[in-house]
Amino acid sequence: MTRSVKSWPSWVLLVFVVGGLLAVGAARDSGPRTPKERVEDISRRLACPICDGESVFESRNADSQAIRIEIARQVDAGTVSDDQIINFIEQRFGSRVLLVPKATGIDALVWALPVAALVCAVVGLGVAFRRWKAAADTIPDDADRELVAAALAHEIPDDDPEVGET
Amino acid sequence: MSEPVTVSPESRRRPRIAPFISLAVAAVVAALFVVLAGGKADKPDVTSSFLYGKPAPVVVSATLDGDTFDLSRRKGSWVVLNFFQSSCLPCKAEHPELVSFAAQQAGIVDGAELYSIVFDDSDEAVSQWFAEQGGSWPIVKDDDGQIATNFGVAQVPETWIIDPSGIVVSRYATTITAAALANDLQLLRQAYG
Amino acid sequence: MFAATSLNGLVGHAALVVGLAASVFGALGLAIATITSDRRLLRSIGNYAWLALGGAVIAVVVMERALITRDFSLAYIQQVGARETPVLYNVTALWSALEGSVLLWLLILAIYTAVIMRRNRHRLDDPLVAWALVVMFVVTAFFFLLSFGPIDAFKAGPIPNFNRCCLGPNPLLQNHILVLFHPPILYLGFVGFTVPFAFAIAALITGRVGEGWLMATRRWALYAWGFLTVGILLGGWWSYEVLGWGGVWGWDPVENASFLPWLTGTAYLHSVLVQERRGMLRVWNISLLVATFSLTILGTFITRSGVLQSVHAFSNGTIGPYLLGFFGVIVAVSLALIGWRGDRLRSPGAIDSPVSREGAFLANNVIFTVFAFIVLLGTVFPLIVEALQDRQIAVGPPFFDRLSMPIGITLLFLMAVAPVLPWRKASTELLRDRLFWPAWCGAGALAISVAVGADGLAPLLAFFLAGFAGGAAMRQLVLALRRQGWRGLVGRANGGMVVHLGVILIAVALAASNSYTRVAEFTLQPGVPVSYGGHTFELVELQQFTDARSTGVKALISIDGGQTYAPAITTFTNFGTKIPTPSVRNGLLNDLYLTLEPSVRFDGTEAPVKIFIKPLVIWMWIGGMMMALGTVLAGFPGRRRRSPTDPVSAPIDLETAGV
Repeated sequence: MTRSVKSWPSWVLLVFVVGGLLAVGAARDSGPRTPKERVEDISRRLACPICDGESVFESRNADSQAIRIEIARQVDAGTVSDDQIINFIEQRFGSRVLLVPKATGIDALVWALPVAALVCAVVGLGVAFRRWKAAADTIPDDADRELVAAALAHEIPDDDPEVGET
Repeated sequence: MSEPVTVSPESRRRPRIAPFISLAVAAVVAALFVVLAGGKADKPDVTSSFLYGKPAPVVVSATLDGDTFDLSRRKGSWVVLNFFQSSCLPCKAEHPELVSFAAQQAGIVDGAELYSIVFDDSDEAVSQWFAEQGGSWPIVKDDDGQIATNFGVAQVPETWIIDPSGIVVSRYATTITAAALANDLQLLRQAYG
Repeated sequence: MFAATSLNGLVGHAALVVGLAASVFGALGLAIATITSDRRLLRSIGNYAWLALGGAVIAVVVMERALITRDFSLAYIQQVGARETPVLYNVTALWSALEGSVLLWLLILAIYTAVIMRRNRHRLDDPLVAWALVVMFVVTAFFFLLSFGPIDAFKAGPIPNFNRCCLGPNPLLQNHILVLFHPPILYLGFVGFTVPFAFAIAALITGRVGEGWLMATRRWALYAWGFLTVGILLGGWWSYEVLGWGGVWGWDPVENASFLPWLTGTAYLHSVLVQERRGMLRVWNISLLVATFSLTILGTFITRSGVLQSVHAFSNGTIGPYLLGFFGVIVAVSLALIGWRGDRLRSPGAIDSPVSREGAFLANNVIFTVFAFIVLLGTVFPLIVEALQDRQIAVGPPFFDRLSMPIGITLLFLMAVAPVLPWRKASTELLRDRLFWPAWCGAGALAISVAVGADGLAPLLAFFLAGFAGGAAMRQLVLALRRQGWRGLVGRANGGMVVHLGVILIAVALAASNSYTRVAEFTLQPGVPVSYGGHTFELVELQQFTDARSTGVKALISIDGGQTYAPAITTFTNFGTKIPTPSVRNGLLNDLYLTLEPSVRFDGTEAPVKIFIKPLVIWMWIGGMMMALGTVLAGFPGRRRRSPTDPVSAPIDLETAGV
C-alpha cells in the first residue's frame, strides 16, 4: 500500500505542486520599488566615510545622515539612476565609500574568482567521480572472493545506515 | 613505537601528487601572507578632490544672522569656506588663525571673503563660540548636512578656496594657519590675473 | 602608593615567566624524550603542564585583582579600568582590550593542555600522543611569549592623568551582560581546535594516519565546534540587541574571522564520518583540521593587527607581525608534513557513486571549502587592491549576501537529501521512497509561505528546501526513536539531525528577516498613537537619565497600549560618543524593533524613532539552542557495531582510548 503512494505519479504531482507554488510566489509583484526602498537600497551600497565599514544605511552618525538626505533628495527628483547617485557620492568621498566592488578592472576579480572556484569545484568533482567509476569497474579476483566468502560466513546485519548509525 | 604503515599495491602505483598540491597551496598562502604583511592601518587620501577645476556646488542657505546666502552670487570675489564644529578640538585650535586671516584680508584690495559653515552642530553652540572667541564673518547654516555632502566633507576642519569665477581651486583637509592661507591665496591671485 | 600596588605587576610578570619556561621546557623535554625514548624524562614532563597552567591561572587572577582594586599603576588598568565602572563590566574588562584578551586565550589553552596531559599521563611513551603534546606546548609557549613580549599585559603605566586615562572599557562593552559570555565562549571554541590539530600533526609526524588519533579527538572537535557556534550566535544576538540597525550579521572582517574556522570545522565534522566508516577522505580531514586551526590564528591576526577596518577590531600595531609569522610557520610546517606523508594518507578505496553518503559528504566538503574561500577573498580583497593599485576599496555585505545565497540554497538541498542516502550507492527506488514524505513536508512549508503572502523566488525556494530538510531530519529521528527508544536521540547521527533542525530554523529565520523586514520612521508626539504594521505605538514620555558613567535620553513607548519599551541614546561622559540602544519586543511571529534616532533633542518632548517589523527573528535563537542541544546529544557515545567487514579504519573504543 505504501509502495503505491510513493510511486512515480505521486512524485510528478509533487513536482507540479511545488513548481506551481513557486511560480505563484515568484510572480507576486510587490510593485515597483518605492522611493523609500530605492533610498534604502542605495544607502546599503555605500559605506559611511568615517566609520569602519558600516554602511550608510546602518550608520547613525551625522555624515551618513547627510548622505541619506542627499540620496533621498536625488531619488525624489526622479531623474537619475541608482548608479548615478552612487557615482555622485563616490566622486565626492572617494572610492572607499563603495561597498559593492565595481564589475570593471581589478575589482571584478572579487566577483570572478568565486565563480571560477565554483566551476573548478564542480568540474573537479565530476572528474573525480568519473575516474572512480572507471576504476570501480574491475573484475574480482580469487583473493576478493575468499574475503567475501569469509565475511558471509558470519551473521552480518544489513549494511544500511537507516537508523541511528553514521 | 609506530605501527607499520600499510602500503597497498595501488598507492605504490599512484604518482606522488601530495608534494605538488602542497606546494601549490603554499604558493597561494604565501601570496596571502605578502598581502597581509603589507597592509597598513590606512588614512584616506583627502587632499585631492574631483571638484578641482569644476564649478563649486550650489550652496543656498541662510546665515546665523538671518540673511540669505547664495554662493553663486559671490562670484567676482575670492571665497574661502571653512567647515567648523564647535566640539572639534582642531577647529577650535585653528580659530584664532581664521580671525587674523579675516582681519588681514579685510585690509587688502580684492581680499577674500571668509565664510564658516556649520558642520553637524547646533547653531547656538557655534554662535556662542564665535561670540566668546571673536570672528565677525558670516556663519552659514547647514542643517541637513547637504553642503558638506556636496563638497565631500566627512571630517572637520576643512577649508576650501573658490576663485572669482566660481571654480573650486583648493582644498585643505587639515588645520590651516593664517600665513599659509594668505600666501597661497596671493599665489592663486597672481595665477588668476 | 604605586610602589606597593605594583605587586600585581611583579607577580603577573613572574607568573608569565614561569608559564613561558614551563611550556618551552615541556615542548623541548617531550620532544627529546620521544626521540631518544628516555622514559625517565617522560615521567617528569607532566609537571610542566601543571606549571604552565599555574602560570596562566595566576596571571589571570592577578589581573582580575588589579582590575577590582583599580590598580592604576598598570598600563592595562589605565586603559580599561575606571572608578565608576560597575563590578560586572569591570571584571569583564579583562578581555575588553588586546593584552587581557590574550591572557584569556592563554588560560583556556593552558587548561586544555593540562587536561590532555592528565588524560594521557600513562601513554606518553606513545609517540603520537607525545608529539601532540609537544605541539600543544609549542602553541602555549607562543602565546606566553606574546603576552610577555610585544604586548605586555603587566606593563607599568605612567603616572595616571585622570583626564586622559582610566576611562573604562569601550562603551559598547559596558552596555550589556553578553560581554560576560560571548568572548569566553568564542575563545573556548577557537582554542578547542588546537587539540585536534595537535593530534593531526602528531599523526603526520609518526606516519600513523589510520585510526587512533581521530577517534581520540572526536569529542574535542565536536565541543570546540559547539562552543564556536554558540559564540558566533551570541555575537549575532549582541549585534541585534545593542547596535541598533536591526541586523544580526554584518560580514565585518572580525565576524568573518570567526566564521571561517566554523566553515572548515563544520566540513571536518561531516567528512570525518567517511573516514571512520570507509577509511576515505583522510587527506581532506587532515587538511580541514589544519585549515581550521590556521584560520583561528589568521582570525586572531585580523582582529588584532589593524590591517582591516572593523568596528570590532582592537589593535596595537606591534602584534601583527608575530601573529602573521606564527600563522606562516603553522601553514608551512603543516603543508610540508602533508606533502611528505600525504601520499601514504590516501586511501586505496574510491567513492563508488556520487549518489551515496560518501559522495554527499565529499560534495559537502567542496561547498564549504568554496564558501570559506569566498569569505576569505572578500575579507582580504581590499588589501589586495591596495597592494596592487594603492587605492582603497571596501567589500561590504552586498557582495557576501549575493554570493552566500546560492551556497545556502545548495547546502539546504544537501541537508534535505543526504540523511537518507546509504553508504556506497543509492538506487532511485530507494531515494524515491525515503525522500517522499520529506519532499511533501517541503511542499507543505512552501504552501504555508505562499498562503501567508511571501514572495520572491529565492526565499520561497529556501522555505521549500528548509521544509524538505526538516522532514528528512525528522524522519531519521522518528525512525531512530522507534527503533531504539530514548537512545534514538543520542549519538552522532541523531544528535546531528537535531543540529540540522537548528540550522534549518536559523536558515528560515534569516531568509524571512532578510526578505520581509519592514521599516518606517516616525516622529512620535507624547500621547499621540501611531499605527504601523498592525500595532499601535504611543510615546508616553521622553525621559532624561544620568548615572555615574553616562547621561542620556530614552523614549518610553507603549506598544498596543500595553508594556512600554524604551529605546535610548546614551552618552558615556568619559568618551563623548553617543551609543544608541534599541528596544525589542520579541514575538514568535514578529519582532518589533524600536530605535531612537540621534537627531532627538535631549530637552525636547518628541521622539524621532525608527520602527522595524522583523519576522521570525526569535527562531534564530531557538535554532541556536537546538544546535547546542544537538551538539551535546551528539557527544554521547552511540551504539557501536563490530563486524568483520568493518573498514580498516575501524574506531578504537573511546573509553579505553583515554581521551
